[in-house]
Amino acid sequence: MFHISSQRKYWIFKSDDELEQLRQKANQKFRNKIHESGKTGVSASSFLERHEEDVLFKHYERRLLDFCNAFKPVMPKSVVGTAIMYFRRFYLNNSIMEYHPRIIMLICAYLSCKVEEFNVSSTQFVGNLLQETPAGQERVLEQILEYELPLIQQLNFHLVVHTPYRPMEGLLIDIKTRYPMLENPESLRKSADDFLTQATMTDAGLLFPPSQIALTAILNSSSRAGLSMESYLTECLGLRGDKESLSKMYESMRRMKTLLKKYELPKAEEVNVYKQKLERIHAEFSPSNKRKRGYEEDGHVAKEARLEEEVWTDEDLM
Amino acid sequence: MDDQGCPRCKTTKYRNPSLKLMVNVCGHTLCENCVEMLFVRGSGNCVQCDTPLRKSNFRVQLFEDPTVDKEVEIRKKVLKIYNKRDVDFPSLREYNDYLEQVEDIVYNLTSNIDVENTKLRMEQYQRENRDVIQKNKAKLTREQEELEELLLLEQRDNEQRRLDVLQEEQRQLQAKRKNKQALLDELEQSRLPATILLAQHKVRAAQLETQIEQQKQVVKPTNIFSTGIHMRQTVSLQPVPRIEEVLYTYKPLHIEIYGPPVPELEQLGRLGYLNHVRAAMPQDTAGGYNSALACHRALQDAFSGLFPLKR
Repeated sequence: MFHISSQRKYWIFKSDDELEQLRQKANQKFRNKIHESGKTGVSASSFLERHEEDVLFKHYERRLLDFCNAFKPVMPKSVVGTAIMYFRRFYLNNSIMEYHPRIIMLICAYLSCKVEEFNVSSTQFVGNLLQETPAGQERVLEQILEYELPLIQQLNFHLVVHTPYRPMEGLLIDIKTRYPMLENPESLRKSADDFLTQATMTDAGLLFPPSQIALTAILNSSSRAGLSMESYLTECLGLRGDKESLSKMYESMRRMKTLLKKYELPKAEEVNVYKQKLERIHAEFSPSNKRKRGYEEDGHVAKEARLEEEVWTDEDLM
Repeated sequence: MDDQGCPRCKTTKYRNPSLKLMVNVCGHTLCENCVEMLFVRGSGNCVQCDTPLRKSNFRVQLFEDPTVDKEVEIRKKVLKIYNKRDVDFPSLREYNDYLEQVEDIVYNLTSNIDVENTKLRMEQYQRENRDVIQKNKAKLTREQEELEELLLLEQRDNEQRRLDVLQEEQRQLQAKRKNKQALLDELEQSRLPATILLAQHKVRAAQLETQIEQQKQVVKPTNIFSTGIHMRQTVSLQPVPRIEEVLYTYKPLHIEIYGPPVPELEQLGRLGYLNHVRAAMPQDTAGGYNSALACHRALQDAFSGLFPLKR
């Protein structure tokens, strides 16, 4: 349950500033690492700034969502939600410059299928990468398997993610049972769903418990439809006497709605510019990529030359 | 298994698997032949460590590792001196400390650490506790004698039982033979027709059989329990020490949900929640599923963490 979960203990933060600080730290850590490794000819401008990282992050998150939505067989919503949460948590403590998002997003999806018990074999999974040849899919699979354990490590092995979908169902059941004033709660479902999908693309999952997100979704959609649900909170949830909690809850809901409003899809030109910068950074600064391919040194296993790997771009994903 | 052969003649152990290894007080092994050889020449030094040895000090190796044998010997000697038992100590802690002392001494002597000091300590202990050691030795011998007596008694009883059984069998065999003989005699001499005689004989044989069966059933009453305590012997036990502690009172587990209370699983139907959940199909109920489970889980998730934390 959420109240005893690792999500509540370790992955719910108090404010946006805290999140921003963590991301800034990750960015700085990467820069320091490169400086320490003594590479010459490195200027500060060749690194990504925070807002550039944000743009790229949003872009890849969008790609992840599209990948999951186009997935065959159909991925349940909880799997999608978990994958996006892993993606978000990973890049809270690591910089995009160090781990390329296009492979991390695939690993997040793969791991999420496993954790949420959505049984997909690895070949089936990479079979969803439609632009690749089977050999290319193989290569992607190898990369996925290579980086899976570091991803889990960076998530601090906290793999259970509580998404707001089931709380939403629970709240709808409760409303139908105990709140007869609302005639048709089912009508709220569609817009609440959209609210939740939008919320996964924001930091809401890292700041608020999933039940609060679900409640905000329902209240939002009801106010959109012009129905008032204030009395649900006071009567059914027993908050009539507890003004303080009530006001705090309204406060959180307001914050959440602001977060959603602030979200904007990144512009394509910006994305391209930053992407090129990212590629350059990865080409120069990722010694770990080349080191991990241990069997080059072996000489026994003669697979095709790894240099082809870099040619694979994002377009191949969709 | 082989212990890599005898260090002196090196080959013989492989060639002759039945050859025994002997261990001496310094912890090194020698095969039987080499022991003979060594003492024929009159010189008594160990091959590896050059400590002076006596032939009587060699014992057949019981354990694979010769150091274990060495330790066993040392332990026997030490325990001859340190023979206090747990009843000699006022508290468990002191007994354990004493045992640890003993182990330290054995360890030191086995690994040849600090041998001088350890021997001095042993002698000191011996002097101080001379009478306790004597008493315990006497106790030990007495106990051993008692045990041996019991063993002897048991053995004698077993013998006796065996003899009894044999005798019984003999008697029964004889009785049967007599019966047959009687039949033959009667057939010869008596005037009655053969069939009647045969019938009589059969009856008598049957009687004999039942007699034998009955005797087998009779269990000799015993006057001793299997642990060796005589029946009707009162055993005095020490009174059980009373331990007084705070009485445990049950407090039900309380987990903070940070949200409104969730109704109990059994109440869900009555409260009307189940009307809004998909009903369980027959295939689902076969595995033990019912719709209340899914409903309860959804409600738990919905209410968990709903209220803000009170800072």
